[in-house]
Amino acid sequence: MVRSSFILGIVLFLITALFNYAEPAPADLAGSPYHRHIIYQALILFWIGIIGLIVIIVMKLRETKRIQDMDVHKDAEDAPFLD
Amino acid sequence: MISRRLEDWITERYDVEGLHRVLRAKYVPSHRYEASYFTGGLTLFLFVIQFLTGMGLALYYVPHSEYAYKSIVDITAKLNMGWFFRSLHHWGAQLAIASLFIHFFTNLLLKAYRKPRELIWITGFIMITVLIFFGLSGYFLIWDQRAFTAIRVATGGAGNLPLIGGPIKIFLRGGIDVTQETLTRFYAFHVSILPMISLIIIGLHVLLVQVHGMSVPISQKDKQGKPQPFFPNVFYKDLIIWLLGIGVLATLAVIFPAPIGAKADPMAPAPENIKPEWYFLFLFQTLRLFPGQIAGLNGETIAITVISLAVLFVFLVPFVDKRSSAGKPSPVYTYVGVFYLVYFVAMTVIGFLD
Amino acid sequence: MKLDHSLVSRRTFLNTIFGGWLMAIASGGIYAFLKFVFPTVGKEPDFVVLNTADFLDIPGNTMKTFAWGGKPGFFLKRDDGTILALKGVCTHMECNISYQSDVKKFYCACHKGWFDDHGRNIEGPPPKPLERFDIVITGQKLIIAKKGVQVDLPKA
Repeated sequence: MVRSSFILGIVLFLITALFNYAEPAPADLAGSPYHRHIIYQALILFWIGIIGLIVIIVMKLRETKRIQDMDVHKDAEDAPFLD
Repeated sequence: MISRRLEDWITERYDVEGLHRVLRAKYVPSHRYEASYFTGGLTLFLFVIQFLTGMGLALYYVPHSEYAYKSIVDITAKLNMGWFFRSLHHWGAQLAIASLFIHFFTNLLLKAYRKPRELIWITGFIMITVLIFFGLSGYFLIWDQRAFTAIRVATGGAGNLPLIGGPIKIFLRGGIDVTQETLTRFYAFHVSILPMISLIIIGLHVLLVQVHGMSVPISQKDKQGKPQPFFPNVFYKDLIIWLLGIGVLATLAVIFPAPIGAKADPMAPAPENIKPEWYFLFLFQTLRLFPGQIAGLNGETIAITVISLAVLFVFLVPFVDKRSSAGKPSPVYTYVGVFYLVYFVAMTVIGFLD
Repeated sequence: MKLDHSLVSRRTFLNTIFGGWLMAIASGGIYAFLKFVFPTVGKEPDFVVLNTADFLDIPGNTMKTFAWGGKPGFFLKRDDGTILALKGVCTHMECNISYQSDVKKFYCACHKGWFDDHGRNIEGPPPKPLERFDIVITGQKLIIAKKGVQVDLPKA
């Protein structure tokens, strides 16, 4: 599980990094219109990343709640002893 | 494979299962005002971002009156992504202080300060002073015209405190005037003294929160829902808030890059329309309410004394609000809290619009 | 073709995309931060221009220092009149060296390393000879250049 998330992480990072290398130079001063567009593009990508992560966390939250509502532990308490 | 062997290495030496048990046992109350529980974590998170960006900036900033301004211009113009990290640090400070005030007023109104959490309130209050001083000292390091004037006024204002004002002014300024000595001092505060103090005080504060658990407002005591386990439910919600925090921070940093004015000139007149940082505005608006002379006494001194007493009162509120410490509803102090909040917001807004 | 059972459990799936996505964002952020804290390095000069008059007429067996970026450059005139220019920095741990005219050798005080008057390391820990420079004399200008560098002076 750790390995596959590692691989997925590298893949996603490389995809976003490709965008960086598509432009010739890193953004210096947020002055010229050319560089300003790179910055806004980076900002959009960033927000996509954040929203994506929030969506995943919400999915995990709902899954956790689903499991917790099954009252897994309560079952064990009510189980009768086999004597 | 490797991860399994690493796990085994750790479990052979440390009681990880015991740690898991402790963490799984942490529960968070659920009620109408449970959103207030996220304010502290957000403040801490923004504070950590300040530490990281600050450490990066400290690699390049030169704390000498001759070179300070230029080093910041170099950071902004010459370094890879320098403008971005400086902007992050600038906006991070604004958001951290804003978040801190939200945290403060939330806990004041919900009376989380009441027994047994008085020490949490005290350490938190110390943190407000520390964070504001962080903001003041950091702002001064820019050494532009605005910053220079701001510190002249701030230290000059501190000098108006009765009795202790003079020594405080000399201590802050490193002399009788705002000079290179002041810059050195404020740099020492900003990168060394205050971080050390905050590590200790925040450590205490968070530790005490773990010990006492989250406070439930008196009105909600009998209306609580099922307690939520902190791991993973509330932790995930914390993460979401923090991610949104980063998002807002980065957006502000990019769209409104950190400003810098003209280099400071100790001989030049104060710039037109100069205002202190927004979190001081309420103080300065209050000062303006007082006339220069009251019954022969210095108006400034009286104003500062009144403000100090008001601040002292709210500092000691866990000890004066006896009703809430006994677990009883305390509407008088709710009104007091509302008054403080409305006053703070109104004075800040008026100061802004002035 | 439809599978009867999922290849991974719901938990594995969720944790994988969570970890992967988090790492992608984190590595982007760390990459930006690293770019910030690693400074763009400066360079030593390719050549420096000096006045012929200041250097060519020094007596034999003397050494005159010139600036090579932030480091010392040594201009040596030997007893027989031949000249040599090299970087006055020891090849061991970059201490500044000195010229001992009584023994006609360069000496590094840090670990007692010695170089002969051609810059070769002869004694002590230094692993390599001193870095030698090319000398080009055009009238009034004495140009000291890194070995192999083409010097194009602007017409001034």
